[in-house]
Amino acid sequence: MSVVPIPGQEPGARFLILRGIFTENPVFRLALSLCPAVAVTNTIANGVALGIAVLFVQVLSSVTVTLVKGFIHPKVRIPVFTIIIAVWVSVIDMVLAAFAPAVYAQVGLYVKLIVAFAIIISRLEVFASRHPVLPTFWDGLGMGLGFLFALVTISAMRELLGNGSLLGIALVPTKPLLFFALPAGGFFTIALLMALFNYVERRWFGGTGTSSGGGGGHAA
Amino acid sequence: MSEKQREVLRIAWSMTLACIAGSAVLGVVFVATERYAEAARAQGERRAITELLSLDSTATVVEIRQYLSLEPRAVVYRADGADGGVELRFSLDGDLLERQPLAATAGDETDGLEPLGRIFVAEENGAPAGFVIEGASRGYKNVIRFFVALDRNFEVAGVRVVEHEEDPGLGAEVATPWFQGQYLGRAAESLDALEVTKDPMPEDWRAALDQLARMPEADWEDAYGPLAGRMREGPIHAVSGATISSEALTRGVRTTVDHFRRRWALIAPHLGGAS
Repeated sequence: MSVVPIPGQEPGARFLILRGIFTENPVFRLALSLCPAVAVTNTIANGVALGIAVLFVQVLSSVTVTLVKGFIHPKVRIPVFTIIIAVWVSVIDMVLAAFAPAVYAQVGLYVKLIVAFAIIISRLEVFASRHPVLPTFWDGLGMGLGFLFALVTISAMRELLGNGSLLGIALVPTKPLLFFALPAGGFFTIALLMALFNYVERRWFGGTGTSSGGGGGHAA
Repeated sequence: MSEKQREVLRIAWSMTLACIAGSAVLGVVFVATERYAEAARAQGERRAITELLSLDSTATVVEIRQYLSLEPRAVVYRADGADGGVELRFSLDGDLLERQPLAATAGDETDGLEPLGRIFVAEENGAPAGFVIEGASRGYKNVIRFFVALDRNFEVAGVRVVEHEEDPGLGAEVATPWFQGQYLGRAAESLDALEVTKDPMPEDWRAALDQLARMPEADWEDAYGPLAGRMREGPIHAVSGATISSEALTRGVRTTVDHFRRRWALIAPHLGGAS
């Protein structure tokens, strides 16, 4: 999977989407946005809802940035990116509250926090501000899907081990390892899955470890 | 103007433009979604009230809004009704100052009025069916907003947290049916002495409360009546690791019901057609 795009040519849709989900997965490979990946993943329902919200914010912000990048003064690009993200997050917040009150009751608390997700601003700075619209769209989609995939994997493992249920349906009558439903268990789950991802990457693709080539540092 | 000054102006202009464009988008979306958000909230509240009091479709619900007026000092009650509603003004000592049709006053004007929560009075086939009182209490992180339902005999028909920001897995457990089920069936006057204990909840009681969300309330009373009756004599069992949230909700329920009982005794005789 170590596909390198030919210099001077824009990478294709398939490459960009697969890169977001696997080789540069935001959580497991870039180690970005770990806080929310722990905070919201105690049940699959929460993980899916927030993952979809992030997917929308990522795609919409990326496309907005690439469309207006000519008008943004380079010295204030980060504040402007933040405004763009904040606008889209607020729009999604308001739309959810109006048209999906049941979902909003579940994840409304977390949606506002998407403003501070490192993965989104990192993609704006690393990709959207330097590429045309179409590749930016695919990159945003890939990263959003990658984040959704990570949240679903983490929350499935935590819900199964911590609550003994999947999608709210109890599989065993007790809570096998409540520890996994608590925040500390979230860190362990991510560590285990990250190790698995690294192992698979090295074993089959000859790749390197987490956060070696990715953009951005360790942040929220 | 030097090149440096022009550069600063360009930066400021770029930032300003981004802010103006962002605010414009937010304004448009807010105006477009506000009605629906308000309707969704109202619908959620109406559903919660119907479920809490197990009302049928013939039931009518009258909303009474309570306010504290700072200048002049008074407690104001505004009740909707078929006759256009009524506004009651009481002094802080509980003397009726004024009673007038709601339409004659400013209607929904709330300047200088501090909201004190709402009361929903339900009627079924012309007979009172119960009350739902809105309350709020300071929780671990932010205010916990909740509804307390009382049936016509002034027994708690249910407690429902409608908004909170407690920790998931810990304080957020106070918003679950099993925790809220502990308030069920307690007489309003017994709440004054209601306490929270950190003692572990008896396992049979916990198992019974877990069933509460899975069967109609009447069936549940049939199945667990004696046990529930015994447990209602005792305290509320705190969520382990979340005593603050458990106490916050219990304190809130106690004060809300206490205030409601005093206020209802005051206003009920004056509501007339609106009750």
